[in-house]
Amino acid sequence: MIFEILAVGLIISAVLALFLEDVIYSVAALAGTFFFVALIFVEYNAIFAAIFTVAAGVGTLAVLFLSGEMLGDKPAKKTSPKRIGTLIGTGVVLSLPAIFFSVSGSGGVDSNLIFGDALWNVRGLDVVLQGLVILTIALGIAVVLYEKKRKGGQ
Amino acid sequence: MDFVILSLVMMVIGIYGLLTNRQLIKVFISVELIAIAATLNFVMLASAMGVGLGQAFLILAFSTDTAISGVILALLVVVSKKYGTSDIGKILQTIKDKDESEVEA
Repeated sequence: MIFEILAVGLIISAVLALFLEDVIYSVAALAGTFFFVALIFVEYNAIFAAIFTVAAGVGTLAVLFLSGEMLGDKPAKKTSPKRIGTLIGTGVVLSLPAIFFSVSGSGGVDSNLIFGDALWNVRGLDVVLQGLVILTIALGIAVVLYEKKRKGGQ
Repeated sequence: MDFVILSLVMMVIGIYGLLTNRQLIKVFISVELIAIAATLNFVMLASAMGVGLGQAFLILAFSTDTAISGVILALLVVVSKKYGTSDIGKILQTIKDKDESEVEA
């Protein structure tokens, strides 16, 4: 029952985050999305995942609030209550498949020791993949700097 | 297997938002929703297998997500400063007008 309530809340907040006119309200709805995801992780005993979600979410939301306030265009008119009601209804309808077609039965994650073991056992793969991410970023920065230098030379 | 359907719905919402929204910040929010769908899948797999492996990989997913967010935000700031708006339609119109004026000149 708790999962169903959280799923409905998650989908409604996601729909509101995408389709509200004002960017600041959208970011507030996205905060709700992160909150519901963290609660779902807690319900499935994945405490570490919930903590990481909250940590990453807080950073993303802070940046989004600032950039939304500074760069976002102000909407010509405010979102009407009728539209908000329609969006909430759409969210409820979209969450119905998650409620009725779900096949429950998983036992949840045993979070404490197994998580640490898993983190240690896959550290090689993790380090390689993180290195790949950093390499991609470095390559992107190098390309941007090269383009800037080339344009400066012309 | 609750998360499969839920993360699928989240991903569909994110892709729909990515394709239909004109505001760059909303596009960024759509990408975030897709990333949330991916993390839901990670935890679902961990839950189904009964091990913490999915949570371990979640750290990698979050670091990738943060890198993506940084790149998108940087692009957003550059584009907004250059064109004075974050509306994709207005930006395309500005580029089109500029091209037409260059052809006329």
